[in-house]
Amino acid sequence: MAISKGRRLFKADVGFKMNTLSFVQQVKKKEIDIVEHISKTIDELKKINKAYHYFNIISEEGALAQARELRKNPKGKLAGIAVSVKDSICVKGIESTAGSRILKGYRPLFDATAVEQAKKEGAIIVGKTSQDEFGFGGFSVNVGLDYEIPNNPFDASRSCGGSSGGAAGITQKITIPHIAFGESTGGSIACPASFCGVFGLCPTYGRVSRYGLIDFGNSLDKIGTLGKTAEDAALLLNVISGYDKKDSTSLNVPVDDYLSYAGKSIKGMKIGVVKEAFGSALDKGVEKHVRQGISNLESEGARCEDVSLPLSVKYGIPTYYLIGTSEASTNLAKLCGMRYGISEKLEGNFNEYFSKVRSKHFGEEAKRRIILGTFARMVGYRDAFYLKALKVRTRITEEYQKAFRKYDALVSPTVPILPPKFSEIEKLSLLQTYMMDQLLVGPNLAGLPHLNVPVGFEKGLPVGMLLIGNHLQEGKLIQLGSKVEK
Amino acid sequence: MRIEHKSDVVIGLEIHIQANTLTKLFCSCPTQGSEEPNTRTCEVCLGMPGSKPVLNKKAVESALKLCLALKCSINPELIFSRKSYFYPDMAKNYQISQYEIPMAKDGKLKLAAGKEIRLRRVHLEEDPAALVHPGHIQKSPYVLVDYNRSGNPLIEVVTEPDMESPEEARDFMKQLITVLEYLEIFDSNTCIIKADANVSIKESSYVRAEVKNITGFKEIERALNYEVERQRQAVSEGKKLKQETLAWDSEKGATFLLRAKETEEDYGYIVDPDLTAVDLTNEWVSELRRNLPELAADKVQKFITKHNIPEEDAKIIAAEKELAELFELVAEDIDPALAAKWLRRELMRVLNYNKKTFSEVSMDEKHMIDLLKLVESKTITEKVAQRLLEKLVEKPFDVKEYVKKEKLGAVSDEKEIEKFCREAVKENPKAVEDYRKGEEKALNFIVGKVMQKTRGKATPKEVNEILKRMIK
Amino acid sequence: MEIDKELLKHVANVARLKLTDSELNKFLPQLKEVMEAFSRLEDVDTSKTVSSIQPVALRNVMREDKPGKCLGQEDALSQTKLKENGYFKGPKIV
Repeated sequence: MAISKGRRLFKADVGFKMNTLSFVQQVKKKEIDIVEHISKTIDELKKINKAYHYFNIISEEGALAQARELRKNPKGKLAGIAVSVKDSICVKGIESTAGSRILKGYRPLFDATAVEQAKKEGAIIVGKTSQDEFGFGGFSVNVGLDYEIPNNPFDASRSCGGSSGGAAGITQKITIPHIAFGESTGGSIACPASFCGVFGLCPTYGRVSRYGLIDFGNSLDKIGTLGKTAEDAALLLNVISGYDKKDSTSLNVPVDDYLSYAGKSIKGMKIGVVKEAFGSALDKGVEKHVRQGISNLESEGARCEDVSLPLSVKYGIPTYYLIGTSEASTNLAKLCGMRYGISEKLEGNFNEYFSKVRSKHFGEEAKRRIILGTFARMVGYRDAFYLKALKVRTRITEEYQKAFRKYDALVSPTVPILPPKFSEIEKLSLLQTYMMDQLLVGPNLAGLPHLNVPVGFEKGLPVGMLLIGNHLQEGKLIQLGSKVEK
Repeated sequence: MRIEHKSDVVIGLEIHIQANTLTKLFCSCPTQGSEEPNTRTCEVCLGMPGSKPVLNKKAVESALKLCLALKCSINPELIFSRKSYFYPDMAKNYQISQYEIPMAKDGKLKLAAGKEIRLRRVHLEEDPAALVHPGHIQKSPYVLVDYNRSGNPLIEVVTEPDMESPEEARDFMKQLITVLEYLEIFDSNTCIIKADANVSIKESSYVRAEVKNITGFKEIERALNYEVERQRQAVSEGKKLKQETLAWDSEKGATFLLRAKETEEDYGYIVDPDLTAVDLTNEWVSELRRNLPELAADKVQKFITKHNIPEEDAKIIAAEKELAELFELVAEDIDPALAAKWLRRELMRVLNYNKKTFSEVSMDEKHMIDLLKLVESKTITEKVAQRLLEKLVEKPFDVKEYVKKEKLGAVSDEKEIEKFCREAVKENPKAVEDYRKGEEKALNFIVGKVMQKTRGKATPKEVNEILKRMIK
Repeated sequence: MEIDKELLKHVANVARLKLTDSELNKFLPQLKEVMEAFSRLEDVDTSKTVSSIQPVALRNVMREDKPGKCLGQEDALSQTKLKENGYFKGPKIV
């Protein structure tokens, strides 16, 4: 269907069903005026943002400039696709604060490598999405001082999940072709994807360069993608994966074509159902839909059976928090009111100045995690906490490796509960909020790729199912994930 | 671990050597070039959020070479840690360094007098930035920071507290610099070497003070002499010494308190998760060992056995790599004993006078060989040769041409000398009279006159003999 | 596990954080509960386990000693107001 220039492109019913690949084709054939399209996109984003707060910054100037450039010579695998970027991922010239007031004003002099790769393929960066400060949270309620909390697209009194809350929210709410950059340290792609009813793909550790990602836990952080379909998530992953010599932890292995796995038969694939994930803490409504998702996989020819991962579910949380906060507390030490970000009047000696800036501009959870992490690596505690956690991580990874000798993938609910109300979250103890990650920290600690697959609605709220693959098996996840939806 | 000390003074050193790589330890910024502040920086060495480090292989090799030369035992794996502390010169408020398992340990280095200093460990780490204090360090309202230095590769060498005097500490630094120059991993013209010194005295039951950031081996002796004296003075006044961290103020020539050091600093070490472990394989280390240049100690041995020169001369010549190489080249064409004498005495004298090292002058072995050939063949006298050497050090020239042109050839024609002697005798009758009366000094006076006439081209010995004959 | 207010203050100070009384009172029971729960890690047998730095196999990543592009003084200083004559400004050390 040829669309002539100047004609109003989108009607409400076209948006959601528009196939991303055909959109890209139309942009490349100049059948869509990309500048007009992006202009309308920005309008839509602004409107959504007023109520839902998915963006810390909407990059109107930048996006239109990119659109104008692209219109001259439309090419690339992502030509014309609106791409939102989680605030902790650097975009050159656009304020990137990881959701924290202490980095207000920081306009990176470089693009994250993954962003650079997306731009090269014609992506239009439309803005920086909201998140828990530095990734410190599973509900996106721990936003930095002066930031707004994003609201669940299905019920504004509920959480988007976190920490990539804004990314998941906009991916669900937007009606035009869009794919989101997310980031996961302990589950921050899959969790919000689950709460917002979208696909969230977290790749193998090292698959996507971390260069330009503002660090939380360097041995845990992964940049990943969120999309309305598994194909969309795979499409962006194709583009951003690959070796980067600027990142010492970047894997130097060939990049698979993840998109090509979508729709492939899953007959004969063996899937392990994580027994410990179906305990008493699991919401019955969540369980119902996840079991249905597993059943869908079986009806497509996969063989599912129980597998036990005792270490991962029981010890994953302390292991993750001790390693994550230890690393984070060193990463955040550089934020002290010098060289970039916010600063104060230079009064007092350096200890006084640094304490003043940090105490004033870090949010509460950031302070707690810095303290936890500093404590975990202090003389006298280091052996029992930091060093011990490193060893337990190895044991957890070994536990997964053993399971993958038998199974192509593992499956569990993504989060044990439905998206909670903000008022319910306030009543949780700190420990209880940390325990919410228990089904996600395992794969994140082991650096395993994992995918949230939306499997239905319970009381009008989305339920997510988690698929976990062995290292570098993202393709299998797409293959399985694309077969679940009915 | 309590160490039982016996000596009057106990000194241990922690030395930081800037390796002469082209780029910094974890980024590709050049280590040399513009001295304008913050012009050799990037997001990595500025610690900008989102940046990540990548290890410089050459820095690892330079450090490994040093470990081999210092006879250390090398760890099979290289692992970096984050040493966390807050300071205005820190780009990340942690320094990428090594903690639990350093690159190497248990090495040794001999002082000139022969005493062996044990080395506890050698490791790699990055340099912080440079601080400028507007006004004076203790009074400035703020600091100015230049990150050109931030991220430079440093090799840290930690000694056991085996030194017993500031002189020994200075000697240690000198020996270490010689090793570094021989390995070509340090260029004293462009790189910096600094030390922190731990020093304690018997009188206080060895309460340690740490003096930080002393630059160069001369300053080490100055700073330590001051500090030992300060400690002795304090004890004699009945004061109780405390474990302290001090800084050395070179201008004032004094140490001053930075902070009291009651407890060990807690650096909260973690392994740096942005970097990978590096295998220091047997193959890699063996290849480096095979390609190590001959070191000073080896050269000294060679000079003694092959060229038959005295040990003292050999040591002095071998102390500077360029000088040792000069000697080896010259000794191919010139009698080694003569070459050794001229290098060790005459050349060193002229260099010291000009406050230069041989590597800083433009003359080369060809000039030296030409000069010494003329000395060997007695074409010129030693006095003339000395003058020519002084000129050569200043600015090199063709020696043979110059001697010809200026007619500096030794006057060895006896008839010519006799002629000058007869003249001098005639012109200085009083001196002749005095000599005949028994005053030996008077003869030297006349010899001097003859030397003037010959413009130094006769040998004093010859003139002396001829005059003696004449004046009888 | 004895975490008291003094220890909490000390750890906060090491991290250059000055907590208000209200923060101290809020954080103390939270962190106590969390660290108590985390100490169950000691139940895991790791006597034969060697830890690794990253969860995937990565070793020997290094680069050649070749100079690359620098930012330039203006760009380097562009992210802050605290600068003077080409230098960054920072708080004094004494």
